[in-house]
Amino acid sequence: MASPRYSLLRTLIPFDIYGGMKLTGKYFGKVLRQANRGLKRTHVVVEYPEVPTTLMPRFRGRLQMIKDEQGEVKCVCCMACEKICPTQVITIEKGKKEGRKTPFPIRYDFEMERCIFCEFCVESCGFDSIILNHQFELATYNREDFSHAMEGGFQNMFDPTPVSHYSVSSED
Amino acid sequence: MFKTEEMEINLGPQHPSTHGVLRVKLHLDGETITRCTPMIGYLHRGVEKICENKTFFQGQVWTDRTDYVASVSNNLGWAEGVEKLFGITVPRRAHYIRTMLTELNRITSHLLWLGTHALDIGAMTVFLYAFREREEILSIFEAFCGARLTTTAFRIGGLREDLPPGLEKLVRAFQARFLDCIDEYETLLTENRIWKKRTIGVALLNAEDAIALGVTGPVLRAAGSNYDIRKAFPYASYAEMDFEVATQTAADTYARYLVRLEEMRQAHRIINQCLDGLPEGPVMAKLPKVLKSEVNEVYHAIEAPKGELGYYFVGEKGGQNPYRMHIRAPSFINLQALSKMVVGRLLADVIAAIGTLDVVLGEVDR
Ligand code: SF4
Ligand code: SF4
Repeated sequence: MASPRYSLLRTLIPFDIYGGMKLTGKYFGKVLRQANRGLKRTHVVVEYPEVPTTLMPRFRGRLQMIKDEQGEVKCVCCMACEKICPTQVITIEKGKKEGRKTPFPIRYDFEMERCIFCEFCVESCGFDSIILNHQFELATYNREDFSHAMEGGFQNMFDPTPVSHYSVSSED
Repeated sequence: MFKTEEMEINLGPQHPSTHGVLRVKLHLDGETITRCTPMIGYLHRGVEKICENKTFFQGQVWTDRTDYVASVSNNLGWAEGVEKLFGITVPRRAHYIRTMLTELNRITSHLLWLGTHALDIGAMTVFLYAFREREEILSIFEAFCGARLTTTAFRIGGLREDLPPGLEKLVRAFQARFLDCIDEYETLLTENRIWKKRTIGVALLNAEDAIALGVTGPVLRAAGSNYDIRKAFPYASYAEMDFEVATQTAADTYARYLVRLEEMRQAHRIINQCLDGLPEGPVMAKLPKVLKSEVNEVYHAIEAPKGELGYYFVGEKGGQNPYRMHIRAPSFINLQALSKMVVGRLLADVIAAIGTLDVVLGEVDR
């Protein structure tokens, strides 16, 4: 490949160090030029807690139940989601509600601590009554806080993605 | 007055260079290694057994969690294995999209390897640049399937949904600058004298030993063999793709580095071909509502970034879940070569050897 004379030259003059420093300098200069100048930033660091992050529309977050225009629960207790869930974290109890033809879930529990956010439940639901919303800041201090239910649980299944200081959803 | 004796030390399980919870028991004579035994099992979750109790559809989520650096490849192996078991034909468009995502995944896996391997050996800068590009690919995965790491990207019979609008633009933007990025990594490492000193002639494994141990992937190809399942037994749409298998003959750490860089370039080529030739049509095959297997067994292997990833399924009559499932995990099998590579060498070479084998402990232990 390289002739002996060339490799001797390489040994005497550290080209490789020069190349590496040039590359580092290029990026250093780039950031320095853009810093605090209001220019379009090209660096990749996200200042996450201060600046909200954007998520892709298909992002898989927390499971959320949907109500239709009349404020009625869309779920009709077909149990498809309960059956398909690989970690078995959904529990539904079928019941009736006055003035409603289709079955009504009197209980819909979701134990989030074991959910793996695979979206199989949403996929299996033929009635579009659940989605995985864009909430990703899901940490809590207590284990009980992970249990979601329609009512009575620590968290409500109907809560939409919070419009928080920290995250924005690109869906809306 | 003085006496010498062999010393036994543990490397890991929490050593940063072991890339997870790998414990290596080393017998040292001074600084020379006389015996080396990898101790595994710290991350064992019984994935194979769990999958036997889940339906073919559900099992895919566990493949995300074996080799979590290359989960799309694992998904592909699972999906294609099950499709082979049931004789399902996947639409051509789905094959193309799968190929594209798997190649992107090969790049992420190699980038992670490059960054951490260089970091172990002492080159800090590459890590930052490698992760910058990896981040971009992970956003592409997020756009496609909603998750960055545990993707669950494919479905049996095709894909869940078609590409989202705008994804092609993201991939093209990435493709446009990626070749320059590889050149940047090369500027930092290929001619770097310290890098060369730390890698050339280190952790040798010749082709004969590699084949005898069942080692596959870049480690085998760096020893001169051109065994690549994408060429040898084409799956997905690799038969229609024009690419070369990267090989080297030196069989050392440096050669493996060159092979992996070249593989990234070839992956770049394949992705371009997938984008240009993306056929129209459906992305999901017609499937029966419930998949019920016959008495049957299949083995399906794909070329994962780390080597031959095989899924072995045994079906029972009317069963909705595999009767037996086995994963031929490349990391697990490649790890056997560690002892061969380091015995008789210095302690510092173990770090390079673990890095160059590119093991992911989630896949070693399963
Ligand atoms: S996302 Fe997956 S694990 Fe979570 S509830 Fe739905 S099916 Fe179950
Ligand atoms: S699949 Fe949909 S409709 Fe059926 S029980 Fe689940 S949420 Fe309700």
